[in-house]
Amino acid sequence: MSRIEIRNLVKMYGAHQALHGIDISIQPGEFCVLVGPSGCGKSTTLRMVAGLETISGGEIAIGERVVNGLRPKERGIAMVFQNYALYPAKTVYNNMAFSLQLSRMPKPEIDRRVREVADILELTPLLERKPGALSGGQRQRVAMGRAIVRDPEVFLFDEPLSNLDAKLRGQMRAEIKRLHQRLQNTIIYVTHDQVEAMTLADRIVIMRDGKIEQQGTPDAIFHDPDTVFVAGFMGSPPMNLVDCMVTPTGLKLGDSEIACATPDGLRAGARVICGIRPDDIRPAADQPGRATATVPVDLIEQLGTEKLVHFRAGQHSMIGKTGGRVDLAEGAPHPLAFDMAHAYFFDPDTERRIR
Amino acid sequence: MIKTRFTALALAAATALTPLAAQAAEIEWLQWFAAENTDGFYDELVADFEAKHPDITVKLVTQPFGKVRESIVTDNAIGVGSDVLGLNMPWTKEFLDIGILEPLDEYLARDDNSFATSDLVEAPLGKIDGHTWMVPLNAFPFVMHVNMGLVRQAGFDAPPATWEELAEQAGAISALEDGISGIGMPFSSQPPSNGPILTFLPLLYAHGGRIMADTTPNFDNPEVVATLQFLKDMNDAGAIAPGAASRTGGVDLEEFIAGRTGFMISPGVHSSSITSRNPELEYTLVRVPTNGETAYRVHGWEIGIAADSPNKDAAWTFVNYLLSPEVNARAAKAANALPGNLAALDAVREGADETLLKQMEILSGDTPVEEMRQSPKAAASWSVMTEEIQAMLRGDQSPEEAAAAVQARWLDLAG
Amino acid sequence: MTTMLRQMTTRGTPYLFLLPGLVILGALLSVPLYKVVEYSLYDNVIVERNPTFVGLANYTNLMTDPGYWSAGFNTVVFTVGSVLGHMIVGIGLALLVNADIAPRARTFFRSMLILPWIFTAVVVALNWQLLLNPFGLINYMLQWMGLTSEPLDWLGDPDLAMWSLLLISTWRGYPFIMVSFLSGLQTVPRELYEAAEIDGAGFWHKFWHVTLPQLKPVIFGVALLDLIWTFQLFPLVWLSTGGGPGRATEVLSTLTFRLAFVDFQFSQAATVAVSILIISAAFTLLYLRNEARRL
Repeated sequence: MSRIEIRNLVKMYGAHQALHGIDISIQPGEFCVLVGPSGCGKSTTLRMVAGLETISGGEIAIGERVVNGLRPKERGIAMVFQNYALYPAKTVYNNMAFSLQLSRMPKPEIDRRVREVADILELTPLLERKPGALSGGQRQRVAMGRAIVRDPEVFLFDEPLSNLDAKLRGQMRAEIKRLHQRLQNTIIYVTHDQVEAMTLADRIVIMRDGKIEQQGTPDAIFHDPDTVFVAGFMGSPPMNLVDCMVTPTGLKLGDSEIACATPDGLRAGARVICGIRPDDIRPAADQPGRATATVPVDLIEQLGTEKLVHFRAGQHSMIGKTGGRVDLAEGAPHPLAFDMAHAYFFDPDTERRIR
Repeated sequence: MIKTRFTALALAAATALTPLAAQAAEIEWLQWFAAENTDGFYDELVADFEAKHPDITVKLVTQPFGKVRESIVTDNAIGVGSDVLGLNMPWTKEFLDIGILEPLDEYLARDDNSFATSDLVEAPLGKIDGHTWMVPLNAFPFVMHVNMGLVRQAGFDAPPATWEELAEQAGAISALEDGISGIGMPFSSQPPSNGPILTFLPLLYAHGGRIMADTTPNFDNPEVVATLQFLKDMNDAGAIAPGAASRTGGVDLEEFIAGRTGFMISPGVHSSSITSRNPELEYTLVRVPTNGETAYRVHGWEIGIAADSPNKDAAWTFVNYLLSPEVNARAAKAANALPGNLAALDAVREGADETLLKQMEILSGDTPVEEMRQSPKAAASWSVMTEEIQAMLRGDQSPEEAAAAVQARWLDLAG
Repeated sequence: MTTMLRQMTTRGTPYLFLLPGLVILGALLSVPLYKVVEYSLYDNVIVERNPTFVGLANYTNLMTDPGYWSAGFNTVVFTVGSVLGHMIVGIGLALLVNADIAPRARTFFRSMLILPWIFTAVVVALNWQLLLNPFGLINYMLQWMGLTSEPLDWLGDPDLAMWSLLLISTWRGYPFIMVSFLSGLQTVPRELYEAAEIDGAGFWHKFWHVTLPQLKPVIFGVALLDLIWTFQLFPLVWLSTGGGPGRATEVLSTLTFRLAFVDFQFSQAATVAVSILIISAAFTLLYLRNEARRL
């Protein structure tokens, strides 16, 4: 269990700068998820922590040690790869035992550790198989087992679930969470899936174009986004983000006007990006007393427990939600209530939150 | 219906082709001569012939000496043999047994030949199985090429004339400096693996020895043993270039041309490549050192006609052209050799250089010897000599044992 | 009935197109094969106008000929030695030229190292004869480094000739192996090396635990192929040593050639050729089975 300090980390590929001074401070035992679209630099950051990429600037410390010049094996880390990277010619047992064998641990001790971890991960019946004879989920567990047996200070996960189907992904997600609760190791976990980020993380770091967009607890990230990007990235279906005009009484959105309170700094006539989550747009009948607008509903998506209501407001496509049993007709105008108390306002130029 | 139409077609094709075939004959000439000539003489020769005989075209097929023998046999076996063949006397009996060669008696007896048979160098004409099988394009004795610079450096003013002098001078030259040797002996097993007939036989003949009694192997005689002993003594004294067992004829020649060996025993024709490739070399050639005998191994480039040739008359026309005194003189000069047609001798002597004149002197006075042409397995027998001499130089057997071993293996081959 | 006929013609059409090729290929393979086997059953051919059928006499001759067994032994030594040499040098160089260096330098080294492959056997043999000559570069270097006092006749000494031949054969044959392994190396997932690095593996461990197992199918296939080729390799041996000195480097292929073209014993040569054929065919079957298993 170690703290990880990443200070002003820079990565250059020739003249191209991939990371622009990243600062992350991870507490011992914290589960930190790096999330962002592909190319944002999250994997590069992880690989630099692992020692698989050279560091162009800044420093990384694991525990009290700066590890910039250390080889991967000297950093006290273990890593789970996206494609598992299991040794195809070795049995599950030997895949898991390999690092211990290399460190010349006595055989009985290796055996004890491997069997213990195999037991935790329910791999015991598979120990003599080769990776080729395992299912995707089993391989994933072996990859994790290989990391766990080493009892590292830090676990690094590089999109470990992206090769699994949706159902298995859900199971494995829970398993990883449970494992973390049990082992309490410090974890850096890279994913592009915001659900994984939300469910697993103690701390989420959202990255974009080699910079940190925002970091904080899942709650803070979800409910208190700093930027348009963060607001739009987290949450499914995503937050509605629409260009509006500020009026003395509220907002003008295309032809519709919605009465609401706006931040003090905004004067009438100013342009603003208003963000409101689909959960906060409900049929008017469900939420009497809220600001309502009658809008043309052009598509209903039935998800079971709820329905997504696609409608148009001015030039914008927006999404609202309703209960699964509510009957709504496509193609007809329908009054919807907007819970503007939970609306967010962003500066259209800087894309930063106006509080 | 279909059948008759096919026959008609075939007939039409045949009639269309026949006059063509009669009009122009194309003959192939397989030889190694052009491979040993650098100035394109043979292309000019062929062009000259074609100008004089517009109805015949000659295709020059040139291969290195080491490959020609195999080519003749394989081409013959699959029926694509050349019409005119460059030949080497030792191959005669072998080729006869396969039936490759056309007897030339009838052609030699023709009235309209450009030469008189009695003018030709005699050795290759000698009848085997009752017939003559080849004619000489040229002839040359085996000689000893001498690097006079090294001889002088070692403190002598004249090349060696006797075995004793050879051993003394070769030893002295070897002692000069690293990388310089007295004499080269190409006893590599690498094909054609014929080092002994290039170097050992000329020394043996100069000692008055022979290896055949008529057509029977006669290798374990005192002269052979003495000659082997001479080689062994020179080798033990360090007079012979190291690595004889891996030295090929080609390397031997290159080393001499590069000035790293004092002496080289080989055909006289090599003098032209030596002088043209390294004009700086202080070079001369002499009779192979003797012990009083003046017998020399004779060699030459022979010409024959393939028994399977469909154009034997055209082939003979070309051979006849090559043997005419005027052409033969040119061919001899180009190879720096003596003419196969002795009527061309005067023409060759005119303007000939010293090395050629020396060869003429050897030819005119000394006794020519060629024994290999009687051997039914010439190539195999010289391979055997090579292997046993290698073993002797290595110290694995004495000269007597080597001689006995060769004799036994030859009898086995003939058996 | 007509449908069946139509089906047959449609199914047959591809084979019809293949027919000319198959006939030519079949003739090119089967005629010489048949001829060689036929030749081996006569007293002699080509040089013999009226060959006599002698059954298996040539084979019994062979079995009792110490020359044949010694050539067979040399062939095994030469083949196994060459293949081992090719493998070791080929894998080593493949690793080196697969290294992460400047792409231009890498291309340069790769093309340089392929060079031995493009020379004909004649050139290779001649060059090595010069290098291995008692006055050649190799002896000069060895003496300069003080490893030998006297120049060695590498190709002319029966104790050294086979080693020298193996050296030449290794030099000549490694590029094919190197290229095969290079393409094999490029299919090894990068992540495996990274995983091994994190597991604490150094160069040799990575080579042993990642590279080698990944290359195993390639190694097996290429080694077998190389074995088949080298087993019947003729020109390089014939041109480098001619089987000598004595018969120290005589292999089955040079023995065949010697019997045929030096001794003109074509039937006996055909017999040796058939024995080579049988052994090569066995290896080829093994190779095909290996390939089939990989598919």
